Amino acid sequence: MSTQYSILFKQEHAHEDAIWTAAWGRNEKDGSETIVTGSLDDLVKVWKWSDEKLELQWTLEGHQLGVVSVDISQNGAIAASTSLDAHIRLWDLETGKQIKSMDAGPVDAWAVAFSPDSKYIATGSHLGKVNIFGVESGKKEYSLDTRGKFILSIAYSPDGKHLASGAIDGIINIFDIATGKLLHTLEGHAMPIRSLTFSPDSQLLVTASDDGYIKIYDVQHANLAGTLSGHGSWVLNVAFSPDDTHFVSSSSDKSVKVWDTSSRSCVNTFFDHQDQVWSVKYNPTGSKIVSTGDDRAIHIYDCPK
Amino acid sequence: MASFGWKRKVGERVSKTTVEQFQQDSEKVDDEGDVEKEGVDWLHVIKRRREVLLEDCAAKSKRLKDEGTLLAEQGRNWEALKRWDDALQLTPDDAVLYEMKSQVLITLQEVFLAVKSAEMATKLRPLWWEAWQTLGRAQISLGEVELAVRSFQVAVHLHPSERLLWEEDLGWALQLREKQQALRERATQEEDARRLLVEAPELKSDYDFEGDEVIEACTAMADRQKKYEDLKKTAVVVDTCGVTKEVVVEDDNKPTSSSQSALVKARGL
Repeated sequence: MSTQYSILFKQEHAHEDAIWTAAWGRNEKDGSETIVTGSLDDLVKVWKWSDEKLELQWTLEGHQLGVVSVDISQNGAIAASTSLDAHIRLWDLETGKQIKSMDAGPVDAWAVAFSPDSKYIATGSHLGKVNIFGVESGKKEYSLDTRGKFILSIAYSPDGKHLASGAIDGIINIFDIATGKLLHTLEGHAMPIRSLTFSPDSQLLVTASDDGYIKIYDVQHANLAGTLSGHGSWVLNVAFSPDDTHFVSSSSDKSVKVWDTSSRSCVNTFFDHQDQVWSVKYNPTGSKIVSTGDDRAIHIYDCPK
Repeated sequence: MASFGWKRKVGERVSKTTVEQFQQDSEKVDDEGDVEKEGVDWLHVIKRRREVLLEDCAAKSKRLKDEGTLLAEQGRNWEALKRWDDALQLTPDDAVLYEMKSQVLITLQEVFLAVKSAEMATKLRPLWWEAWQTLGRAQISLGEVELAVRSFQVAVHLHPSERLLWEEDLGWALQLREKQQALRERATQEEDARRLLVEAPELKSDYDFEGDEVIEACTAMADRQKKYEDLKKTAVVVDTCGVTKEVVVEDDNKPTSSSQSALVKARGL
């Protein structure tokens, strides 16, 4: 295991255009690790991570416009993607085939997230509704209404109790999934919230905004627990490490920053991308980080243990 | 005794014009003193002069920008461009100036320059969605539909809550893309039909001129010719709802492009 943060691998020119989104999953059956990327070139690509390098497994064609968001189910078998063409598509990662295509209606497929039991996928909509689709049925099952503005970001709490959404006007909403009730509305930021994530113990919610700040909330009491500054421009993505101790953020200032949860300080900054870094994720064991951006590159970093 | 006082008497005796003259002179001396101070302070002279210059540039550029905006609103587009070019000499990193220039260039149908200008705006401020929107519009004017679709997507991705961007710009570009594809398909269809006419398979075999075969071959060729002529006669049209249709062209009157009165939007004033 490494003792310091370092860049491990670079896949240059992974897509024909900006890579807007990435996800890292692990197949429950054989333990293999998969990275899924979505790009402005309309494609979803599936990469196998083995022997410390990336290998292109599938190029998934179907979306008519740029791919905005991707996620991988908990068992690592299915990927979901949303595109500017307003379709949500489900893909079988083993065969590289499309399982389902759902028309979400115009402007109604933005961030996408699997529920912890992988039975549902949630996506935000322009009227402030969170639409929940059944993976099995391929239909809209129900929706949660924030009565707010365009929803840019969505996250399920890992314990399956809460769902949080971040809107373009900086408002955060937290729902109780069991009752479908809106628990908290937080006026977190004055600018769009492009990403939010729960800690693995579901106690904390971390939000990233165009105002350049990252905020940490205590979910139970809906208290602001901390405001972090450090990025010189929009914070585009945040993701938690599976061990709760760290989280990572990416920004249009071209950097990727790793933060310590308890001390709320930045412990490392990667300056390896040439352009805006749209997406950043940990691998399921927390030993690696993946980042993608406008420079069409996929970077993999090593994290100390 | 209260009436006596030197000061007042002195003041009264000095004529008003002399006082004014004196005051003006002393003010002049003050001014000169400032200038002299700046000039004489040769150790810091470079730094100070540059600061003064920078301040001047920003203020002057702003004034030129505002003037240009007013001119553009009155439809005096070339004059507006001149003002903004002058402003760009002073503040070359101002993305807003490039973006506004691009809008005006689009209305003037100087589409190549419009694309160049908008590209500069997106380079200087890559997170500004309106610059991408203008770039897309300029690219459409240039006929680069595929590039426009990309620019509009970048704009939407930066600012997805803008309905007009989705419905008008991106939607419009996608319609045009569909139309282009339909035209391309038509071109290949026509080309295929023409080739079949010229290199007809029927011409390659020998015929018994008294049999039915030759009549069949002739009919087949006539049919093909008719099909080709039909293809020639129709044109692909995408109506306002975005439905692609083929219609018979009566004469060569091409629909003139509707010159919409394009509005120039002032930015960040």
